[in-house]
Amino acid sequence: MSFLDVFLQQVINGVSLGAMYALLALGFTMVYGIIELINFAHFNVFMVGSFVGLWVFEAMGFSGQSQIIYGLPLIGVLLVGLVIVMLSTGFLGVAIERIALRPLRGAPGTAPMITTIGVSYILFNVILLTVGANTLNYANPMPKVSWDIGDATLRLREVLLWVVSFVLMLALNFFVRKTKMGKAMQATAQDQEAARMMGVDVDRVVMTAFFLGSALAGAAGMIFGLYYNYTSFIIGYTAGLRAFTAAVLGGIGNIPGAMLGGILIGLIESLGGQYLEVRWTDVIIFSILVLVLVFRPAGIFGRAAPTKS
Amino acid sequence: MSQHSFVRGGLKTAAVLGIAALAGLVGLGTANAQKTIKVGVSLPLTGADAEDAIHVKNGIQMAADEVNAAGGAGGYKIDLVVYDSGTASAGQYDPAQAATNAKKFVGDAMVVGAIGPMMSGEGKAMTPILSEANLATITPSSTNPDITNPAFAAQYKPKGKAIYFRTVTTDAFQGPNMANWMHDKLKIKSVYVLDDSGAYGVGIADSFQKQAEKIGIKVLGRDQLNPKEADYTTILTKIKALKPDALYYGGVGQAGVKLAKQAYDVIPNMIKAGGDGMQGQSILKGVGFPAVEGWYCTNASPHVTEDPGTADWAKRYKAKFNNAPYDDYTITAYDAMLAMADAIKRVAATGAAPNRDNVRDALQQTKLKTLQGELSFDANGDILQKVVSVFQYHENKAGPADSLDAQAPYIGVAPEVPQT
Repeated sequence: MSFLDVFLQQVINGVSLGAMYALLALGFTMVYGIIELINFAHFNVFMVGSFVGLWVFEAMGFSGQSQIIYGLPLIGVLLVGLVIVMLSTGFLGVAIERIALRPLRGAPGTAPMITTIGVSYILFNVILLTVGANTLNYANPMPKVSWDIGDATLRLREVLLWVVSFVLMLALNFFVRKTKMGKAMQATAQDQEAARMMGVDVDRVVMTAFFLGSALAGAAGMIFGLYYNYTSFIIGYTAGLRAFTAAVLGGIGNIPGAMLGGILIGLIESLGGQYLEVRWTDVIIFSILVLVLVFRPAGIFGRAAPTKS
Repeated sequence: MSQHSFVRGGLKTAAVLGIAALAGLVGLGTANAQKTIKVGVSLPLTGADAEDAIHVKNGIQMAADEVNAAGGAGGYKIDLVVYDSGTASAGQYDPAQAATNAKKFVGDAMVVGAIGPMMSGEGKAMTPILSEANLATITPSSTNPDITNPAFAAQYKPKGKAIYFRTVTTDAFQGPNMANWMHDKLKIKSVYVLDDSGAYGVGIADSFQKQAEKIGIKVLGRDQLNPKEADYTTILTKIKALKPDALYYGGVGQAGVKLAKQAYDVIPNMIKAGGDGMQGQSILKGVGFPAVEGWYCTNASPHVTEDPGTADWAKRYKAKFNNAPYDDYTITAYDAMLAMADAIKRVAATGAAPNRDNVRDALQQTKLKTLQGELSFDANGDILQKVVSVFQYHENKAGPADSLDAQAPYIGVAPEVPQT
């Protein structure tokens, strides 16, 4: 492989990783943008999503990577999987908000954030106790199709990952900017009290934010399974931490920022691994995060929030 | 040790003496069969290593049950105290939890010996604690040589006596012998070496790399995987560009499963090999075919599950555990428990009550016929027999899907010196 081929391959790898981080980062950023809460349960909603995807594919009769389908049936199966996964994790997100977080709305200090850590551990342990601790082989109906670009390879699953991530991100952006509910979200993000006085149903807005964020996390979880062909109760931690970093890097609370942050982290990870060493990945990522925060405390796209009195 | 636990405050001295005397008589009357002794077992039953840990636990359980059914070890009924050394936050074995388990064993005066751990990272954390109490343990699968190396005695046996015995050999042989085998049989000229940043993984990768360099295999690079990371395509792409003849991975399943899956996509035609961390049910199931096809792996023990001498054992095992799968380390675990029972028996035969000191000393003198052959330990606790077996995953659709013998057939012994 020539220098250029290797570079191209690592960019493909990095953008794929980044697309997944970005999908996950959107959920963090949306919830933070609206109620200024860092939702650590998000890590494991993602993990649950990957298991729901696995169960859906198994229920449809797939196991391992042995049954392969092509064309329209493949798109159909993937869409059905995606819809079921997004609905289930979306409602899981709503349930988390309703049961664990709404009673704490307005509670002082870090109480709600600590609660999300608790919820995260509950999800983690529920899966650990019910499914077990083994790394599971993912049921994946996708054929092993790939295209060569020089010595670099672009695989079908990368294309799928990019397309799904891109479409979901565009849809979210459209939703937030153009629809009535989206505008209500923006209003709530700016000033909850004022929005309430103008007739915005803040509870519904928050619930919608949780639904959308968790649905995206679920989608990311299913794509994770299809992309890596495995899942395990522990996958939420590393991916979640990177996604959270991506959200902060891009400017937490900012949707395009989360996408950019995700892609950046993915590229840093793959190019850093290629030209330095893989063992330094975390050091590189978090050093860049620290540098960005020193010079732009609100992240790349973020604006310093006005102090609320 | 021998205090009567039912002695409570408030009883009159005479009554106490009377009851004590009575208890003594009863003890003599019912002979030895009721005497119980505890053996600690610490295994990573949670996380990525759980599947293989359960087979090891089965082996220990089976040996203990058989000894008890035959009247106990020298009349002492063996009571296994099993603790989990895997934690959810580590996702695999957790050295800190293993150390806690070791402290629990030490704290329980009834525990005279232990079986385990499974992983070298756990062994490194447990030995300083076990050594202080002179509590001997027999590991059926941990292979890092440092733990029993006299050069590190201050660290792993501060009290001086060997307390870490093994029924497998170490990575001082497993890694280098595999380098020899790959040099002889696969004719590799260059290799890329990875490890999973654990004690075992780093150790076996180091010893493999050192021997490879010594016998003229070019090491094109060495890197370290974070076992919690999901994505290894970056390093695999880097390896693909370097075009080595082979990839050698030192490490256990948590990183190994993902590495094998992704290597199948990125470098499907490269020779890939690992140590005993890549041999087991968790790899077979977690990676699955076709991704695991072609991977070479080793065991630090002779291959005995297909030996005619173990056929009867296998039958009993399957009957007892409902046809559960097993591997060579189930047998080394079974052998470890037999060795422990044998040591207790020899102590009891001298008329002494087994305690940590005399059980340890008896273990050191072990000369026992076990399933894997004559078992003896050297002064450091290492097994005298030093056989490294090589296997290769190869899908056998006719054979049972969960049988390692069928799906990862044995292909030979890795030699201590290159043959060609």
